[in-house]
Amino acid sequence: MQLVSSRWVSISFVEAVVLCLLASFRLINLESTVTLLIFNLLFTSLIFQLKGAVNKKLFLLALGNVIGLFWSYVFCSVSAVGTLVFGEGFNVVYAIFFPFLNFTWVVSFWSLSLTVLTPQANTGTEVKA
Amino acid sequence: MIVEVLEIAFLFCTLLIVTYLVRHYIFTIAVLRKDKKTAKPNAVLAVNYEPTVSVLIPARDEEMVIGRLLQRTTQLTYPRDKLQVVVIDDASSDGTGQIAEEFAKRYGFIEVLHRDKKTGGKGKAAALNAGLKRSVGEIVFCFDADYYPQRDIVEKLVKEFVDPAVGAVQGRPVVLNEAQNIVTRLVTLERIGGYRVDQEAREQLGLIPQFGGTVGGFRRSIVAEFGGFDESMLTEDTDLTFTIYLAGYKIRYAGDAECYEEAVDGWKAYWRQRHRWARGHMQVCFKHAFNVVRSRKLNLKAKIDGLLLLNMYFVPVVTLVAFLVGVSLILSGASQLFSALWLFVPVSFYSLAGNFAPFFEIGVGAYLDGRTRIQFLIPLLFLAYMYNIFICTKALLDLFAAKLLGKKQVNWAKTRHFGDRNCYIMN
Repeated sequence: MQLVSSRWVSISFVEAVVLCLLASFRLINLESTVTLLIFNLLFTSLIFQLKGAVNKKLFLLALGNVIGLFWSYVFCSVSAVGTLVFGEGFNVVYAIFFPFLNFTWVVSFWSLSLTVLTPQANTGTEVKA
Repeated sequence: MIVEVLEIAFLFCTLLIVTYLVRHYIFTIAVLRKDKKTAKPNAVLAVNYEPTVSVLIPARDEEMVIGRLLQRTTQLTYPRDKLQVVVIDDASSDGTGQIAEEFAKRYGFIEVLHRDKKTGGKGKAAALNAGLKRSVGEIVFCFDADYYPQRDIVEKLVKEFVDPAVGAVQGRPVVLNEAQNIVTRLVTLERIGGYRVDQEAREQLGLIPQFGGTVGGFRRSIVAEFGGFDESMLTEDTDLTFTIYLAGYKIRYAGDAECYEEAVDGWKAYWRQRHRWARGHMQVCFKHAFNVVRSRKLNLKAKIDGLLLLNMYFVPVVTLVAFLVGVSLILSGASQLFSALWLFVPVSFYSLAGNFAPFFEIGVGAYLDGRTRIQFLIPLLFLAYMYNIFICTKALLDLFAAKLLGKKQVNWAKTRHFGDRNCYIMN
């Protein structure tokens, strides 16, 4: 029974990831989808090799996708409003800096996920005899 | 026409960046797989191999730290009758020589080589060459004066020389004063990325583990055959790395041999140190790149890794070029291909300059070390990388200027050590 419910939880997390990808592609822009794909590729190929429950990792993956989607949505809105207020020149600034700002959430979420998954809490250098 | 040229330049730059990213992705995967398969390395030696060993400690104005290292050498577990410690007091103007002499009087295996202002002060490589002439050990190790080794570090390093094809070995430097400030914490992340993942992966994949000039050693006979260290090089360690490989020997990385170091603790000191490293690496690249390509002693994957390693400090400059060209292309109306490639430029800004380890590699390295809080600092690598872009660009310009003007490039561009980090040593 527990195994079945665990499977359902896993499936719902995977579904959330797929929905985020579709939403970013249909509702935001291609760049945000590509960023989500890069994040998913790194996450599944590297973080899934670490110790820890699969559902915990799937939850982090789904959460990362939701945050990424929200982040891209906010920036897309900023772009729309910025273009309206400052004119077409804002679009150029947006095109230059969007990828840099976009990776901020990827890197931050990456480090947070690793903090959650690290098995032992070691806060500093330990001198070994 | 100009737009096409810019597009080709941008394509070249981003392809180079992507090549490095793929390389480090492979490194990360390799280390993770190894960690899954094998248990932690065992410090106990399986073989009874105890050759004579000389430890060279080049020191110039190191009175604040030299005593701590010499005290530690008296605690090393390696047999005393097979150990020689040579302190090279390279024209110090402080009490380094006297402190070393006091230790030499008390312990027979410690020797001091004084170099006056006429013979000394010509750089670390020259000091090491003088020490090399004085050394008698079959294996020679080098330690910087601010280092604090594990008691059994000699055993851990020396075991690699059982294989006669091994020319040198490198241990793992760990930052001692990590908790001091943000610079030392970022340097810790660099060390984790560089040694816990990079060097480990190169060792695993049979590529080019690097001799770092300290916390490592080499066969005296081999280096004597080369005529010692090249004194014209700013990074004599990288130069020796490639000289050893090109001569057909191997370098091994012993990750369990840890040695604790004082990291630079300010942005100014960071600039000076990295500027020297960047300029030195570029110098070595110009010296060895062609030899690596045509070497018959290196296989294809080692050649590729060697070339990527040699060009490491050019990458921040390439990133700067990619950014500037990219902005120009956006202003002139970019193509679809460009938009897709533009996404890869920001990833490089979350990397280390010294080995181009990207954020995902550093994170995994910290995870493997069981580190949690330091992970929070990974986004700050962006600032360090921006700083390194300026350092490496300046180093490249200085190198060209020195070549054109025929300026001398080598002196003791050393980092000042204060020895007040003993609070971090708990045992």
